[in-house]
Amino acid sequence: MVAMTLIAPFVLIFGLVFLYPMIRVVELSFTNAPLIGSGEWVGLENYRQLLTDNLFYTSLKNNGYFVLLTVIPTTVIALAIAIAVNRLSGRMQALVLATFFLPYILPVSVVTQIWAWMLDFQFGIFQPVIEYFVGEPVAVFKQPAWVMPTIAVVTIWWTNGFNVLLFIAGLRNIPKELYEAASLDGASRRQLFMKVTWPLLWPVTALVMTLQLILQLKLFDQVYLLSGGGPFNSSYVLLMMVYREAFQLNNGGYASAVALVLFVIIMVVSVLQFQLLRMGGRK
Amino acid sequence: MTGVRLHSVDKSFGGDQIIDDVSMNISKGEFAVFVGPSGCGKSTLLRMIAGLEETSGGAIDIEGRDITQVEPAKREVSMVFQSYALYPHLSVFENMAFSLRLARTPKQRVVEQVRAAADILKLEGHLDKKPSALSGGQRQRVAIGRAIVRQPKVFLFDEPLSNLDAELRVQMRLELSRLHQKIGATMIYVTHDQVEAMTLADKIFVLNEGVVQQAGPPLELYDDPDNQFVAGFIGSPAMNFLSAVVTRNTVKGIVAEIEGTNGQSLEADITHSVIEEGQSVTLGIRPEHLYMRDGGFTSTVELTENLGGVAYLYTRLAGGQEVVIERRGERVLHARESVQVWADSKDVLVFSERGERLR
Repeated sequence: MVAMTLIAPFVLIFGLVFLYPMIRVVELSFTNAPLIGSGEWVGLENYRQLLTDNLFYTSLKNNGYFVLLTVIPTTVIALAIAIAVNRLSGRMQALVLATFFLPYILPVSVVTQIWAWMLDFQFGIFQPVIEYFVGEPVAVFKQPAWVMPTIAVVTIWWTNGFNVLLFIAGLRNIPKELYEAASLDGASRRQLFMKVTWPLLWPVTALVMTLQLILQLKLFDQVYLLSGGGPFNSSYVLLMMVYREAFQLNNGGYASAVALVLFVIIMVVSVLQFQLLRMGGRK
Repeated sequence: MTGVRLHSVDKSFGGDQIIDDVSMNISKGEFAVFVGPSGCGKSTLLRMIAGLEETSGGAIDIEGRDITQVEPAKREVSMVFQSYALYPHLSVFENMAFSLRLARTPKQRVVEQVRAAADILKLEGHLDKKPSALSGGQRQRVAIGRAIVRQPKVFLFDEPLSNLDAELRVQMRLELSRLHQKIGATMIYVTHDQVEAMTLADKIFVLNEGVVQQAGPPLELYDDPDNQFVAGFIGSPAMNFLSAVVTRNTVKGIVAEIEGTNGQSLEADITHSVIEEGQSVTLGIRPEHLYMRDGGFTSTVELTENLGGVAYLYTRLAGGQEVVIERRGERVLHARESVQVWADSKDVLVFSERGERLR
């Protein structure tokens, strides 16, 4: 009884703002309802339409591409930074860690503004760098081949600090004696990493990768603010499509169907990945 | 033959001298124990022998080879840590095989050597388990097994039994003794527990503040300590120390008046030292050497601890000094009564005001 009373506020709020809307989304996805007001039951029509919608395929492809561009690179970079930072000590470590964490506390609009300026075709300070490698300045948000990788770079820069923090916590959890024992056993630096650090850090790595996967599949803000989905809708992602259908084209039912598909993808992929990673760790 | 030799070894952290000019000789096959209070430098000294701490000055030899600047893995030493330091992601077998695998030992030999070590330590049934599935005592055995497999010249133990409960500690102590007899390797063992030191050691090194206070076989340290620190550290309950003033020199030694007893005295045998009358000294008497006799000095019983076979009387002199008396086979409870206490002159040790033994 006491337990029920204690969890009641949570259950109530959870039901009101999560469970109920979710059930409504499922319901909506089978209707042709506009954003406000009810619609008619159309069965699987929305989903049938999805299969013929080119923008849906573009968005789906972009989501997948973006995950490839961010999840593993950000994990590798964060691990490398964490190992380097972990070697430092005292104030120096705190300072460097804070520096890497700084971007994470910035709001997305500030992050995208900073990068929009730095990558500006006319005056961006990165244009000379791009020119050096490519031979000419590039309007990165106006070139289909450049836009997703650029957004990926911005995203990694923005969110990497948090992953570094998780890895640092993981590294600190490994007892110093294990390294001492291994070095007495004759392990080289590389072997220390491969045989002690890496296996013991595996649970943290699995966590980081799963969190990243979920986060990056929910991509919206950076695309919306940096490229608006362009050029020619080539950087559209699923959440942008939900936004467009629901709030710009007033297709509540169709938007719900897209949202539900994204929800299922995230669920299945993240559960699958986490299980796979755990199995990999047990081996 | 020498096992391990230290020549005036120093270690300083920042400005602090942790190890101060330590020299020692440990014979091959000897079981040496470093004992001392926490912060005395015993673990640091062990870690210097292992190569986990750099040596600031002096030299360390293992079986005649100078290893002062040699990296840990090439010193042919194995170390057992207080925290066991087992690799949690590897099975017991792989934990023990770790060093052999790094050395690219042929598979057949790995299996043979690990099985042999597991046999000695009764771990055969646990080889496939992860360390988390083992009890504390079993984990410690795996850690020892990992050390044995390498067939080192010297085994180093850093307070290996401190994380075990009392019963298991006694049991593992015996097993360690047996293990030493069986494999006969040089072993260096660090502990703060003087009982472990007394029971395990062929030779004890008592350390305090980075300096070896005395080295020798356990009973020699017990019977004939060089200074008040060693006398007080070895033995449980600790030796009684009574402040006294020398009143008379005799043929055999001295007569000293104990402070706070209204002129009551004890005699102590002294053969070499010259002690002037009026000099302040500290008399050291072990609890088992005190007995009750009329005409002794007077002390008041405050507390009795009766352990069955033996009882400890915690008494106090009028001047406030505490005196612990051991009584064998006594069942009488002495509550708050005065007793007359005596010790034979051969059992009374004399220390100078600076804590040096006067013999």
